[in-house]
Amino acid sequence: MSSESSLFSHRWLPLLLAAPLMLLIVLFFYVPVFQAFYWSFFLEQPFGGGSEFVGFQNFARVLSDPEFWMAGWRTIVFMLTASSLAVIVPLMLAIAADRKIALSIPARNILVWPKGIAGASIGVVFAFIFNPFVGLMAPLNTLVPGLWNPGIDGTDAFITLVAAHVWSGIPFNFVILLAGLRSIPHTMHQAAAMDGAGPWRRIFDVQLPLIMPQLFLTFVLEFTESITSVFALIDTITGGGPGGSTTLLVYKIYVDGFRGFDLSGASTQTAILMVFVLLLAACQFVFLGRRINYER
Amino acid sequence: MVENARSINIAASILLIIGIVYIVGPLYLTLSTASQSYEYMLRNGLAWVPGGELFANMGKVINDTRIPIQMLNSMIVAFSNALATCALSFLSAYAIVYFRIRWAGVVFALILATIMLPLDIRVITTYQVASNIFSPLNAVLDVTGLNDLIANAFGAPVHLELSVLNTHFGLIAPLVAHGTGTFLFRQFFLTLPKDLFKAARMDGAGPIRFLFDILLPLARTSVASLFVLTFLSGWTQYLWPLVGASTPDMQTAVVGLARLVPDADGQVPDFPMIMAGAVLVSLVPLSMIALLQRFLVQGLVLSEK
Amino acid sequence: MTAIDTAIRAAAADIELIGVTKAYDAKTVVIPQLDVALRPGEFTVVLGPSGCGKSTLLQMIAGLERVSGGKILIGGREVQNLEPKHRGCAMVFQNYALYPHMTVAENMAYSLKVAGVSKAERAERVATVAKMLGLADFLARKPGQLSGGQRQRVAIGRAIIREPGVLLFDEPLSNLDAQLRHDMRVELADLHRRIGATSVFVTHDQVEAMTLADRILILNKGHIEQFDTPKAIYHHPASIFVAKFIGSPPMNILAVTGDGSALRLADGQVVANFAGKGSFQLGIRPEDITVKAGGPIKAQIRYREDLGSHEILEADIAGQPLRIATPFGAEIDPTSTLSLSFSQARLHLFDNGTSRAISNAFDQTKSAPASVKEYQ
Repeated sequence: MSSESSLFSHRWLPLLLAAPLMLLIVLFFYVPVFQAFYWSFFLEQPFGGGSEFVGFQNFARVLSDPEFWMAGWRTIVFMLTASSLAVIVPLMLAIAADRKIALSIPARNILVWPKGIAGASIGVVFAFIFNPFVGLMAPLNTLVPGLWNPGIDGTDAFITLVAAHVWSGIPFNFVILLAGLRSIPHTMHQAAAMDGAGPWRRIFDVQLPLIMPQLFLTFVLEFTESITSVFALIDTITGGGPGGSTTLLVYKIYVDGFRGFDLSGASTQTAILMVFVLLLAACQFVFLGRRINYER
Repeated sequence: MVENARSINIAASILLIIGIVYIVGPLYLTLSTASQSYEYMLRNGLAWVPGGELFANMGKVINDTRIPIQMLNSMIVAFSNALATCALSFLSAYAIVYFRIRWAGVVFALILATIMLPLDIRVITTYQVASNIFSPLNAVLDVTGLNDLIANAFGAPVHLELSVLNTHFGLIAPLVAHGTGTFLFRQFFLTLPKDLFKAARMDGAGPIRFLFDILLPLARTSVASLFVLTFLSGWTQYLWPLVGASTPDMQTAVVGLARLVPDADGQVPDFPMIMAGAVLVSLVPLSMIALLQRFLVQGLVLSEK
Repeated sequence: MTAIDTAIRAAAADIELIGVTKAYDAKTVVIPQLDVALRPGEFTVVLGPSGCGKSTLLQMIAGLERVSGGKILIGGREVQNLEPKHRGCAMVFQNYALYPHMTVAENMAYSLKVAGVSKAERAERVATVAKMLGLADFLARKPGQLSGGQRQRVAIGRAIIREPGVLLFDEPLSNLDAQLRHDMRVELADLHRRIGATSVFVTHDQVEAMTLADRILILNKGHIEQFDTPKAIYHHPASIFVAKFIGSPPMNILAVTGDGSALRLADGQVVANFAGKGSFQLGIRPEDITVKAGGPIKAQIRYREDLGSHEILEADIAGQPLRIATPFGAEIDPTSTLSLSFSQARLHLFDNGTSRAISNAFDQTKSAPASVKEYQ
């Protein structure tokens, strides 16, 4: 039954209601997005020094820069490792917390705590904990010198970033996945048990298939999240180093734009990153999204 | 169910213990280190047992750094972000769901698209807009040729300039320009029975009455959830406050905390003091989670649907 | 009781729909054209299958749906362009649609509050209505703390508190269990007698229609199939649709051919005398068929259902299904061929093309006593 015409029919009131948010969104979302693409075709002087249309020159410059490709590659590596872990770890925890065991109640409480800790705060903490001289690994380093030093070894720095990112990402993904698990009707478990499937087997035959929508969603959001929110971690843990080994695109854009005052280059990279993020989301929806919607 | 679930329950318990240690471990080390002296840290590295220096270290943070005023900034940013997001999202979702408007779908799509590209990605150009929020207007005047007309008539083209950088408004507004709240409220409105709206209309309620008498009271938990969620998000922002505020007195606490760590290598930083700062900075959001966890969890679930 | 009766007493208004149409777009026409007049104080039940447009009709009267064309007059006043609150209607919704955050008293008083009625008067009217509906002890409760029947009463109370000239009901009993539904039916009938508001009651339940209505309006795909008293609708259905919709089990419809003197089934059996020629649909209710030895009409029994008070026989006659209601205890041999007789005064004849009833079809045959006797 359509009730289209039973809605309020005022003409100006809804415009007025939506206007404040729309104004902010246009000003601080659409204009910047547009400007990033616009500037990627202009050579911008910093501090309002005028601009000049240069066509695809900015793109040519950025794309021929090996630093850009390195940062892009690192972004993809980080995205794949960190976001996979940031979904799989909460998934395992959610499956565990979904069981009726003594620990599941405190776990459900504690595992959302990181939501209150800023990425930069936990970055500062992790930088300390993984400090080679005074941190967690310091005793090991005295036994085996040089075993762990994120200040020198790029891989160690990368691992620290991933560990911090997964830590930060647990609450959201855990809550979403647990909600998905808890929405599986109890009778489904009972039916599977009657069919002879034990609790281990039901994880793969019942629980995972039925929370595919939530799993898909956490992956989609996590991909974008890992690309962007990693900035706070990089800036506080590694500063992009050592030797640029943790300079991901989002950090490079910041450095190029705010420290190197290369607005055109930063805008061009922003535009490329945006297209990448949008394409990624589109791909995920096209290839994964349509298969996993069940009628319940 | 009569079922032997021993093995899986043991595995689940072990897993949860590991998870809890992973989450609580760094927090505990932060707190214990914050309660030790600098000398203790130099001798022993990170502290496994708490000491008695917590308040001394916190005192250092409060007296020697700008963290106190920065926490006030964080409070203003987080609170205003939460309040503005709740209010504006509520109104826009209300307009989209309960009014017969042709462009409702388009507006909703435009709002929703903001979720795809987070602020951190578009920080460069957002900064440019914030440095003069009239720049889009100026550009429109230039492109449409209106400015030529104005220049002919009044002698000079219009070129308005207003920077919101280094202001609280500038720190807050780009955070509010986000679609999650509208999405959340729209979902909530759609779950309400249609007849409720019709009953209110039969009872004679107009748009404003319906909004305040029916919708708002019913949406209390949704509003609270979104409030908690956006408050935490505002408090924990890093990149935008980092570039949006340039003076220490305008920066937020999280940025200030990160600035406590010296850039240069060499001397081991005063980690106990920094950790005390981390404890201080996390106190407000963590107590919020402790008190309002129900709303946080609900907010996370709602923002997904 | 008399004091209460006079306290809530509506000035019943008549409702007139003139050429009302409703279409969402060119393809989805819900109501092609509707003309109907409801008398003041009348209880009209709008009956039809889901999707027939009955809810749309109700919502258009209420002002919750816009008419695509035509006029709606309430109490002689054109209202089709007025807001719901200006039409003098109140409505009881299917799922009650009570405000979950308000108490029973607040729910009932809300429309008065919107209308600016003073607090004292609101309290007084709430008390009156609550006493009338037996809700006096529940005024401080929220809807979530009430049973289904109590919520239903609150929904009714909220509607009648404004003393509306028109009361609209949108399948209000469909969520209740069988016993409660019966009780509420009785209460509603009683309430209508006391309040006297013109009532329009939408349902798909024929029992509600038969028991509550002064007149039943049967809708099918936005058309009026029949608008008449329950008795008339039962005994003189105007179309095959009505015939099959009212009555349980429904009327049997058999394809017959008139050869100028009699109506014959496909296998040649004569079921009635009839002067006309051509193909027709013959209707006969299950209870108008009797099983008796030597009955002239033969059918094969397929299945029997014992309902205690009576039995339903499912039979096959000339390749068509036939239901027969027989009194309890009738001796029937389930293996044999049934011998039946059709009550000739209770046959209905329908046009094969239009499906409309052919009135007085059997008047001539009735005047031929010899042949009628033969088939009884």
